[in-house]
Amino acid sequence: MPYEFLQVVFPRPRQVLINGEPMGNTNVLLELEGGEYTVTLTPPEDYTPPRHQINLRHTSALNPLVIEFKEM
Amino acid sequence: MAHRILTVIWVLLLVGQVSGCAHYPVNQPSHTYIRHGGYCFENLAADPKNTDELFICLSFSGGGTRAAALAYGVMEELQKTPVRVKGQDKTLLDEVDCISSVSGGSFTAAYYGLFRERLFQDFRTRFLERNIQGALVARLLNPINLWRVASPWFGRIDLAAELYDRDLFDSATFAQLEQQGRPFIILNATNLGPGRRFDFTQDYFDALGSRLDQYPVSRAVAASSAFPFLLSPISLQNYPPAEGYEPPWWYEGALKPTDWTSRRYQAAKNLDLYLNKQNEYVHLMDGGLADNIGVRAILEAYDHGFLREKINQGKIKQLVLIIVNARTEGEDRLSRRESPPGLLTVAAKTATIAMDNYSFESIDRTRATLYERVQNQKDVEACQRLLDKYCPGAPRLAPFKAEVDTYVVEINFEAAALIPGEDPRDYLDLPTSFKLSKEQVEKLIAIGPRLLRDSPQYQCLLQVLQAEAQGRPRPPECPMGAGIVGK
Repeated sequence: MPYEFLQVVFPRPRQVLINGEPMGNTNVLLELEGGEYTVTLTPPEDYTPPRHQINLRHTSALNPLVIEFKEM
Repeated sequence: MAHRILTVIWVLLLVGQVSGCAHYPVNQPSHTYIRHGGYCFENLAADPKNTDELFICLSFSGGGTRAAALAYGVMEELQKTPVRVKGQDKTLLDEVDCISSVSGGSFTAAYYGLFRERLFQDFRTRFLERNIQGALVARLLNPINLWRVASPWFGRIDLAAELYDRDLFDSATFAQLEQQGRPFIILNATNLGPGRRFDFTQDYFDALGSRLDQYPVSRAVAASSAFPFLLSPISLQNYPPAEGYEPPWWYEGALKPTDWTSRRYQAAKNLDLYLNKQNEYVHLMDGGLADNIGVRAILEAYDHGFLREKINQGKIKQLVLIIVNARTEGEDRLSRRESPPGLLTVAAKTATIAMDNYSFESIDRTRATLYERVQNQKDVEACQRLLDKYCPGAPRLAPFKAEVDTYVVEINFEAAALIPGEDPRDYLDLPTSFKLSKEQVEKLIAIGPRLLRDSPQYQCLLQVLQAEAQGRPRPPECPMGAGIVGK
């Protein structure tokens, strides 16, 4: 199965946690196997929503799934 | 007469008791779970000479002493190859981060993992040039051992493991392997029940609720090389999970029934075998039954393991995979005969055809997977260039954290045809055994470095590293991707 692509948008560089595991930074392309994941950021918990539940599929490097965390 | 019968009964009871006492060493339960603890990549210290930037993994195939000697020759060449990375002089061997091995290749991998440079001092005499098969038979014919193997809990493989432990691995356990740090040695075996790959890493042992640190390396190597029929399986116990155990990050959400076609689902299902505590035992045989190349463990690390994390974090600049494939191919005499082959020939062919085809597919998938990354990087870069040119105000595309320059170098006897003065048949006709002549071992050790130096992908790696060290631009004959498809 091909890999899928995710972009996590946040105003500042921050570590992205995929199912709780550090997996790269915000605002860059993350390459993962397809399927369901929980996406959060490393502390401080100054962002909203607290988490994104995503189903990562049908993406490409040029058309990643884009999710956004806003600063509180 | 009654006296004789009593004596026979007495002897039979004694034999039964002695053999009944023999039991394989049991893996120990784990009571406390430590995330990323024990023998896993994340817990291994890197030598100051080892950078993440240049990330090298080796895979050593099966093939008895033939495979062990070929892998040894390649290691020797890497040790003699100077490179300069981030201003530091070192050898390519200093930069090796992981070695995944199967069967015969596991002897070389484990020995280097435990004893490092000693590999180049005494591995030849202690293993490669030794008649291991003869030593195993001699041990088996020892009357005491004949009684021991009569026990249902002690097999020929346990005798082999004792021999490896005493004569080769100096009773080392995985705790000693952990102390050595990188490279991470992944010793692959096959779980006979489900017919799936199993490796001796803490991730698997965590699922078994067991400690790997106290387990002898010799038994892992024995399992990895337990050739079917000649040797018996190595058995492990599956315990309740240690307190606080959590499955790896990729497991959560992986078992959605509609995702059954994905690799992630299959990997989670594999882990489930050990989390299901009704499966109280694991019986392991030669890793070659599940993957005779050793590359599948590295692909899993690329899918959702330590390689995936490092790539997404932008830590790897060059990802190099050197596959040492000691595959042989006897001349096809069947196609020249009118009469159909006999039962034994058919049985032998049935056992090896699928394995050889699967090995080819494993390497092909590795190349395709790593090349796909290069193509994606090129697509994003080219698209951004067009946007900059024609739509200068458009939002920028999300970039990768870092570009990864990937290399897949395969060492294979077939490539000997390209080397002047070499005949591939000298290697392709070699047997799979633990007994080769000194001359055969010498020839195998010598061909490894020549095949490596002759590989266009390897040549590109050295050229790119040299250009970087000298602050020159990348050589035009080795563009990004040449590490996979050649110059």
